[in-house]
Amino acid sequence: MSDLITVSRLCRSFGSFQAVKDVSFKVGRGEIFGYLGANGAGKSTTIRMLCGLLQPTSGSAVVAGADVARDPEGVKRRIGYMSQKFSLYPDLTVFENLDFFGGAYGLSGRALRSRIDEVLDELGLRDRSRSLTSSLPGGARQRVALANALLHNPDVLFLDEPTAGVDPASRRDFIALVRRRVAQGTTAFLTTHYMDEAEYCDRVGLMVAGCLKVLDTPSALKANHVPGALFEVRTARRGDVTAALNAIQGLATIQRIGAGLRVRYDPSPGRDRVAESALAADPDAVVEAAEASLDDVFRAVVDQEAQ
Amino acid sequence: MTSSTSRPLTPRKVPRFRRFAVRTGAMARKETWHVVRDPSNLFLALGMPVVLIIVFGYGVSFDLDHVPVAIIDQDGTRTSRQVARDLTASGEFDAIADAGEPEDADRLFRRQEAAAAVILPRGMEKSLARGEQVTLQVLVDGSDGGRASSVIGSSAAIVRSASIRAAASGLPRAMVVPIRGRVRTLFNPELRSAVFLVPGLIAYVLAIAAVLLTALTVAREWERGNMEQLFATPVGRLEIVLGKLSPYLAIGLLQALLVLAVGTVVFDVPVRGHMALLAAGTLLFLAGTLSQGLFISVLARNQQVATQAGAISSLLPAVLLSGFLFPIENMPLALQVIASVFPSRYYVELLRGVMLKDAPLAVLWPQLAAMAAFAAVMIVLSTARFGRRIA
Ligand SMILES: Nc1ncnc2c1ncn2[C@@H]1O[C@H](COP(=O)(O)OP(=O)(O)O)[C@@H](O)[C@H]1O
Ligand SMILES: [Mg+2]
Repeated sequence: MSDLITVSRLCRSFGSFQAVKDVSFKVGRGEIFGYLGANGAGKSTTIRMLCGLLQPTSGSAVVAGADVARDPEGVKRRIGYMSQKFSLYPDLTVFENLDFFGGAYGLSGRALRSRIDEVLDELGLRDRSRSLTSSLPGGARQRVALANALLHNPDVLFLDEPTAGVDPASRRDFIALVRRRVAQGTTAFLTTHYMDEAEYCDRVGLMVAGCLKVLDTPSALKANHVPGALFEVRTARRGDVTAALNAIQGLATIQRIGAGLRVRYDPSPGRDRVAESALAADPDAVVEAAEASLDDVFRAVVDQEAQ
Repeated sequence: MTSSTSRPLTPRKVPRFRRFAVRTGAMARKETWHVVRDPSNLFLALGMPVVLIIVFGYGVSFDLDHVPVAIIDQDGTRTSRQVARDLTASGEFDAIADAGEPEDADRLFRRQEAAAAVILPRGMEKSLARGEQVTLQVLVDGSDGGRASSVIGSSAAIVRSASIRAAASGLPRAMVVPIRGRVRTLFNPELRSAVFLVPGLIAYVLAIAAVLLTALTVAREWERGNMEQLFATPVGRLEIVLGKLSPYLAIGLLQALLVLAVGTVVFDVPVRGHMALLAAGTLLFLAGTLSQGLFISVLARNQQVATQAGAISSLLPAVLLSGFLFPIENMPLALQVIASVFPSRYYVELLRGVMLKDAPLAVLWPQLAAMAAFAAVMIVLSTARFGRRIA
């Protein structure tokens, strides 16, 4: 059995409010699994249950061979967790934080020292080890938190919005580090609301209001869950063009992007028809067919939900 | 090295107690770093008790000067008037104008018009002339124990010197003056001297400092979001509790040493008994009060609430229910029961026993046992509440 996470009909309520509703999925060894969803969708609640921090209301989950409800301590020994909140001690140095959390995992003496050295090297933190954690820039802090979660060589890594509030370059670096680790056999479960981050995942689950709506590889999601056709219209006169595009049958979504508008039609009227209308409103407009992104998947699924 | 066979680095064969020790040690080390990183707290923790004990210590042992005294002359003779003059000659006592009758002393004390009353009994001159002993009754307001004992001491000395003068002036020499203080029990029937109060002060100062020291440690981690991360590790609640307590126990012992040193050096409080007994008692007392602070912190999860609850829950028992100022035997039963729960009273009893009377372990073991029980219960409660919160 190579599934490191098996979730079956997992639910969690707070009072009468259902934060997670009947969620089931499996994650295999060496996979990066992404959990995508808006704020309040139930991502953190799911991850907390999987880490043995929160008791499920019903359903079951087995992580690295341990049942989260019956053996949360067994789960904790085998996983690394990076919580959503910044969770290091700011008044301690990087080394002291690692030393403490290593000890919390039962590591001590020479084994702990050498492990700390390894993760410091792995995450490019060697020259930061004597710095106070509070003095580090956001990206480096995130890497220290990751180092913490990796100290005891966990089978599964849970990362709850690990790159929230970090600049895109640091975000890419961070994901690269996680991928490297996963290439060595660790399994990673991460939540995010950054679409570009989700693109790096082997599979992505889309969470809407406590429900896991769709779950597949990013390319399959884009192929199967964005009905119709997508176009990008470059224009300086968004207002006029929007009115013209609105007049075409089948408009599903229209959004402003940097250089103009991104529209989806279902069914597709064809590029020529869209171009014709756009040019009528703005002779300088340029219309191109566009590839579906995870963002489009997300919008399409949420739209479908709203209907 | 970290292939798909990567195992958690904690080998299963490591004995349980060793893992327990490693995790508790890590917790203690981390807590020590917090203290070291913010030395202002450490200085406060060590400085506050010393300042408190000096302020309070002097407060209870100030020197006498112009203490208002009601001299109730029931004899009204030349001799009695002479004794009355002698009583006020040194300036320590001032006779108040309207002394009234012995029954008025109560009222005078309550209105703070007099701190003591001396009754010169009817027939005093005649008795002295016959060569008989005369007893002067001195009533002292015991609400301020330190002042009351000083008043008693001074009045004894003054009356003795008056008696010698009377002898020299031809009166019979047999004027022995046993002074008896009849004091309203509500305040302080045993007329405790500064020497007697300092051990109480030590307990009081340590109780407050100890509870406040730990009241924040858990609440802070909840507020900063560290607790969730901590709970995601295999660290047990008992390991957290014990790990958090141990560095503060060390600080507490340092506090105790400082305060005891100030008590003995500045206030001349003797230490007649065994240091080992004193150390054991202090350790158990600190374990109890530190755990009390920790328990509050576990319950509150919020630094502000924890500070307030910590201050109240340490101050009230230490001041009111410790026997430091108010004797426990005279309290209503309900208060006596509450007083018997908190370790302050046992520590005060132990300190007085060891410091003033050289009481042996055979006498003080119940106090030690009670403090140990309180500490154990607090640790168990903290641990249990921790467990329930994670849910
Ligand atoms: N401890 C809690 N008590 C009550 N409601 C909670 C608790 N934790 C989360 N919730 C609610 O559950 C929903 C999902 O929260 P969460 O899992 O944190 O969402 P996400 O991580 O996707 O932003 C939110 O509406 C949140 O308010
Ligand atoms: Mg969240």
